[in-house]
Parts: sequence; structure tokens; C-alpha cells
Amino acid sequence: MADEVEVKIPRDVYDKIEERIRDTEFSSVDEYVTYVLREVLASLEEEEEKVFTEEEEEKVKERLRALGYLD
Amino acid sequence: MKLLVAGLDSAPPDLLFSRFIDDLPNIKKLLSESIYGPMKSSIPAITIPAWMCMATGKTPGELGLYGFRHRKKNDYKDIWIAHSLTVKEKTVWDYLGEKGYKSIAIGIPPSYPPRKINGIMVGCFITPDSSVNYTYPQNVKGEIERVVGDYIFDVVFRKDERDEVKEKIWEMTEKRFELIRHFIQTQDWDLLWFVEIGLDRIHHAFWKYFDENHHLHEPNSRYKNVIPDYYKLLDRELGKTLKMLDEDTAVMIVSDHGIKAMKGCFAVNQWMIDEGLLKAEYGNGVRKFEQLNVKWDETIAWSWGGYYARVFLNVKGREKKGVVRLSEYEKIRDDVAEKIKSIRGPEGEKWRTEVYYPEELYPIANGDKPDIMVYFDNLSWRSAGTVGWESYYLLENDTGPDDAVHSQYGVFSLKMPGVEAGKIAECEIYDVTPTILKMFGIKADLMGRSLV
Repeated sequence: MADEVEVKIPRDVYDKIEERIRDTEFSSVDEYVTYVLREVLASLEEEEEKVFTEEEEEKVKERLRALGYLD
Repeated sequence: MKLLVAGLDSAPPDLLFSRFIDDLPNIKKLLSESIYGPMKSSIPAITIPAWMCMATGKTPGELGLYGFRHRKKNDYKDIWIAHSLTVKEKTVWDYLGEKGYKSIAIGIPPSYPPRKINGIMVGCFITPDSSVNYTYPQNVKGEIERVVGDYIFDVVFRKDERDEVKEKIWEMTEKRFELIRHFIQTQDWDLLWFVEIGLDRIHHAFWKYFDENHHLHEPNSRYKNVIPDYYKLLDRELGKTLKMLDEDTAVMIVSDHGIKAMKGCFAVNQWMIDEGLLKAEYGNGVRKFEQLNVKWDETIAWSWGGYYARVFLNVKGREKKGVVRLSEYEKIRDDVAEKIKSIRGPEGEKWRTEVYYPEELYPIANGDKPDIMVYFDNLSWRSAGTVGWESYYLLENDTGPDDAVHSQYGVFSLKMPGVEAGKIAECEIYDVTPTILKMFGIKADLMGRSLV
């Protein structure tokens, strides 16, 4: 088991999650909370990594194509 | 101890160390005082990820970077382009910065957007253009423009305007070295590492005029001396730069990969369609892969073109319309790889084709990796993703420059006070970061070894 720490969440949230994961593949509230937080963090990271505007990305792609890196 | 690292994109050992060396007095003198030899690049031997493999000591698998573009979440079409923030591993300037050493990093791909370092970072050729902020700290941009005017990140190859391309590459390189010398004189630094991309562009755009053995060689072309002349330009600029350094400054020359003649281009998707791996129809007329009407629910595999081919299997549960069951994945992948390895050249000649599986090649294969990586005839043949050709074998490239492809070995040299000159039998791109860290007395747990 990986190194773990405890986090406190309000009882009503806990109860709602417990209800939600009944009869699903999640075996515990901990597992579900970890899953959701990982998803949220990953999508935040993805958002932060949008460094090119659409126009800039097209410009870069066009250049990479001309240089033979993209087909 | 200070260290200047001259990154010459695509410099091959045979040209730099042998064929041209007598015309390059400054580099010749430097090598006579250096340890040097061919340096094995990463697989794939491509600018991105190779420079970051060098600067982090990590493999493409650990970096999760397998080229310039990657599939977005196993989509058939959506891609993302690598940039500086996609590099999650620590770079050599990050290690140095933690110990208070100052670095100046110029044009090391990918370095756009510029990242915060203890020193200065200037964007590489994936910078969209000079209107954006391409330096850290931001105010350095103004300084660059005062020193060299409009800074040039890259020059794109255009077939019918070779003179203009050549002139622009000369201008770009001269400006880069002017900036480097300006920083040497005005900044406080411990490591100054720059990458000159011009050499790669010159190689790709003018190779056939210089290489008598190239299948498209044009003897006595007025461009036949462009490549040797560019090496002389590099030597002059480097010579002027080295003069400014004191005796205690170490000097390293490195390249991310080598270069050699392109024999042609292999239309890999067209071959896959004919082999029944990829279900799509093509008639006469060349079309991009994206323009094909692919029957995904009957497709086993497809490929991306480029200097090397990335083959993807259409896996059930991973791809939207995947058909390859996980239980059959290994067997089908082996079958496809075997088929690819048995491809012969246009005259029926045997090819030295290499196929790699990312998770076998690297300690770990992160990110949006291909299922199979292919070097057709040891990279001498590029791969074309386009279809509708008369033959699988194209004598000219379907996209971009024509004449040259990458080779697995680049260069390494290091002149360092107290280190006796001599040849190195072999070293790897993963040895550069451990070498630099050792020079600065920094310990890190990396797979490469220090060369000093």
C-alpha cells in the first residue's frame, strides 16, 4: 500500500459518496475521493498546459510540417 | 568553474571530427585540447525529445515525449504539441539553480514558454513568433532586441527560395552568436548552454548538393558549398566566442543526433492498407491520412510518418472503436512488428529495419506512447503517412525538406582544465547531465555516467 495520509471531509459529503458508490466498482469512500481528486488535478494540469492560442498552435504546426516533423 | 555548452543541432561525428575539420581551425584547436567522440542519441533520435534527454539524463519514456506531437487521450485525430511545460523532470539548470549556480539557456528545445530558472532562458524554435514573450525574465526580450534587432528562432525550408533560406539561416546564426557574446560579457553565469538550430536546417535543405552519393545529387550546383561554408561560419563564430572565455571555463560541444543522406520515403499507411491492417480505400491521387475514410471498427493498426514511424494498434477499450483485444495484444503486436521487419527496399534489397516497444526500451514508458516505434532501414528511409502513391517507395519526401534524415550518433567534446585530451570510444546522450553535475560537484541518481 502506498504511503497514505488522512484528510477530513464533512459528514454529509461522506454520506452522499457512500450512497453514490453503492453497487459500483468503488470499494470505499477513500477510493472514490482519491479517484475524483486525481481526475480534477489532471484536468487542471491539462488546462494550465494550454500554452498556445489556436492561431499560435496552427502557426507552430505549419512550421513543424514544413520542417518535416509532422505529416 | 564555468561551462559553455555549444549545442549544434544534428552535428554528425564524421563531418565535424573528420571530413571538415581541417577547414575549422577553432574547432580543431578546441578538439586537440578536449576529450571527444561520437555520442549515441536517444531513441527516437529527434530534436524533441533528444535535447531534453540530454538536459535531464532521462529517457523519452520517462519524459513521456516521443516526438513533437502526441495523441490526445488515444484519439484518432486530436494531437498535442510538445512545449517546455510538458517536461516534468529536473533539468541540469534546475539542479544547478538549487545550489545557487546561475544558468543561461538559449534555444534548447522545447523552451517555449520560457520557464523560470536561476538565470536566463530564451525560447527555442517552437516559439510562435517574436511578438510573444519568449524570455525569462521577461525584460530580457527588450535587451535582446536592442542587441540584435528582430531575433530569429528558426528558418523554414522552402524549395523554390533556397537563396533566401540560406541568407536567413546565416543571419539567424550570426544574431544568435552575437547574443551569446553579449551575455558572456554582461551577465553573471556559471553555465551557458545554447542550441544553434541552423545547422540542422542547412543539412536538411542542402544535403543533396554536397553529398555525391545522394540519389538526387546535382553535381556542380551553386549550392554545393553551402554545407561546408556553414561549418566555416560556425567555426568563425565559435572562435570569436571562445576568445572571450578565460582559461578556467570548460567548453563542451554536443549534438542531439547525427545526420545522413535520405534514401527515400516509405508510404507506411498505404502498405498497411494493402496488408489489410488498416481498413480504408485510396484511389489515384495523394491524400493525407486525415483525409481518408477509415473504417475504424475493422482496423488493426495505423501509423504516423516522420523521421521514424509511430505505429498504433487499435485496442478495444483504449481506442473509441478498438478491435484488438487486450488478450491478443502482444501476439498481434509481434505479428505486425514481424511484418514490418520483413519489408524490403525498392530493388528487393534487405533493409536493416529496427522495431522497438516503448515499455521494453525505457525503464518506464509514460504518456501518449506509440505501440511500436520503427526505424525503416536504420532511419535511411523516412516514413510517409500519406497514401495514394504509385509505389510505397518515394524518392522525394512527401512533406518538408528533401535531402537528409537523422542518424543515431551525434557528437560530444569537452575541454576542461585538468582533464587530459583524448578520444572517447563511446558515450551516450544520458551521460551529459551526470558529467555536468559532477563538474559542479552535484550528486544525482541518474542512469548515465560522468565522462570526467
